[in-house]
Amino acid sequence: MIRSLFKKICSCIAFVLLCNLFSYAQVSFKFNITANGKPLLLNDSSYTNGFNEAYQVTRLKYYISNILFKGDDVMLFNERVLLMDAGNTDSIVFPSSNGNYHSLDFTIGVDSALNCSGAQDEALDPLNGMFWTWNSGYIFFKLEGYSPASKADLGRIEHHVGGYRFPNNVARRITLPFPRKLEVKAGSKHTIIVNIDLDKYWKGISDIKIADQALLMTPGRLAIKAADNFQGMFSIKSIE
Amino acid sequence: MKIKVLISFFLFIAAALVFISATNDDGYGPYAPTPLKFVIPTGWPKPPTDIFAKNKLTEEGFQLGKKLFYDPRLSSDKEISCASCHQPFAGFATFDHDLSHGVLNTFTTRNAPALMNLAWMTAYHWDGGINHIEVQPLSPLTAPNEMGSALDTVLLFLKADTSYKRLFKKAFGDANITSQRMLKALAQFTGSLITANSKYDRVMNGRDSFSRFEANGYKHFKVHCASCHKEPLFTDNSFRNNGRPINRFKDNGRMMITGLAGDSLKFKVPSLRNVQYSYPYMHDGSIFSVPQVVDHYMKVTAAQPKGLDSNLGSPIKLTPLQKNELSYFLYTLTDTSFTKSKRFGPDGPVFFKH
Repeated sequence: MIRSLFKKICSCIAFVLLCNLFSYAQVSFKFNITANGKPLLLNDSSYTNGFNEAYQVTRLKYYISNILFKGDDVMLFNERVLLMDAGNTDSIVFPSSNGNYHSLDFTIGVDSALNCSGAQDEALDPLNGMFWTWNSGYIFFKLEGYSPASKADLGRIEHHVGGYRFPNNVARRITLPFPRKLEVKAGSKHTIIVNIDLDKYWKGISDIKIADQALLMTPGRLAIKAADNFQGMFSIKSIE
Repeated sequence: MKIKVLISFFLFIAAALVFISATNDDGYGPYAPTPLKFVIPTGWPKPPTDIFAKNKLTEEGFQLGKKLFYDPRLSSDKEISCASCHQPFAGFATFDHDLSHGVLNTFTTRNAPALMNLAWMTAYHWDGGINHIEVQPLSPLTAPNEMGSALDTVLLFLKADTSYKRLFKKAFGDANITSQRMLKALAQFTGSLITANSKYDRVMNGRDSFSRFEANGYKHFKVHCASCHKEPLFTDNSFRNNGRPINRFKDNGRMMITGLAGDSLKFKVPSLRNVQYSYPYMHDGSIFSVPQVVDHYMKVTAAQPKGLDSNLGSPIKLTPLQKNELSYFLYTLTDTSFTKSKRFGPDGPVFFKH
């Protein structure tokens, strides 16, 4: 699903690029997830959080939306909502005009209007398993796995972080300033690696211990605690 | 000679056009949707939002939604349809059952709400957890004690059925079957379930008159009931604690959605239209008859348990005669043109396992 979406985006972009071969450059953002400083592997390696709790991840999906790629005199906007999946290598590609770019901004989550205006499709299709059926609204960030520290059945970890209604809205704006300005010239290609550090999900502004909260499946106080750690997880790793 | 060439050239073009139009036909029939108009009954307020704003109401969409609604094959054991718990003859509630039954002899923990006048609601379910009519079916389709299926399974089933492909083409322009289209079609059917032709409505429109009993009952209704069961919809769609004690399922109602302690034991005020057929009553179906409901309100307004809604602040005192009069008035809210409607009912004989 998400792959075909990216294919669509890529083919659109390819078309635009062909039309404007000499005036546009291309900047791609690659999202890499790490835990304990290593690339995250699903269903496999065991990692340890800041509370010395071991865990495995079976699923990690999250929405990003309202993506802004900002430069000194230019701002590029991607209006799509994207469902990112640790099981895929996701990247966001911007056909960019010349200029000096300095940051990337986006929202982890889905605009409140899209949470309450009926059945959606593509990335927001309820088929993606990111929509609560009993308390309407999207799960913005879904982390599932197992841990010996979990007191839940089978040692499960189920963190479904979502909620769009005040005061439990957990959509969070992430701002990522670049360590240096990126100068984009006609025809050039750049790749920016965005790192997502899962260690910071457990231990950031809030402490999230698996022993205390292996299950998080409703909007509310605990979801807000988890979402407050989002900003700290993201950083720019490299610019090429 | 030249003319011959010209004629054969045109013939070739014509043949090519026929060929092209033939290859465009996907075998699922034509697409010529018939727009439907959403009509607000006389004297009724405008719905608070337009539920069809992004879902163009058409006869074809309605018919597809109706077929889905009555199709038990959408459930995991192929025996439970939407209509199993929302039966047309019970005003689209469950006839006679306190709790609804799901697949494989499971029970739900609540009484199925009557589907009617849904376009005037902005939140669905007893706890208001559903924020749009289109996303409501996701809940019963996937709940293990309702239809017990999964969305991808339902879509696989629909995609394997040629008659559904035809109906999706008719409703949406091509035979592509998506969750969004399925949910929009269901909303076209359920959102069209308007009941506004009861004796009460005829009296209000000057085409009928109440008996003396009913007229007296109407007076009692306006004094004791109408502030929450607001005319003409007979609900104000609010969430209130009506004094029913916490039940064996520890069902806290609205609090489970908002997380607010103040919302404990609040449930949605149901409409009283077709109340004669939608028994048993309350969120857990724990009261079986209209007079018993009146007894409940007389009892709780006298006892004033903690958390009781402020609209129930003063005691309701009715004599046995007045109670009967009130019941008779409530029975004037029965709309048999709705409960027996051929348009809303199943197209053929349907086995209601419920």
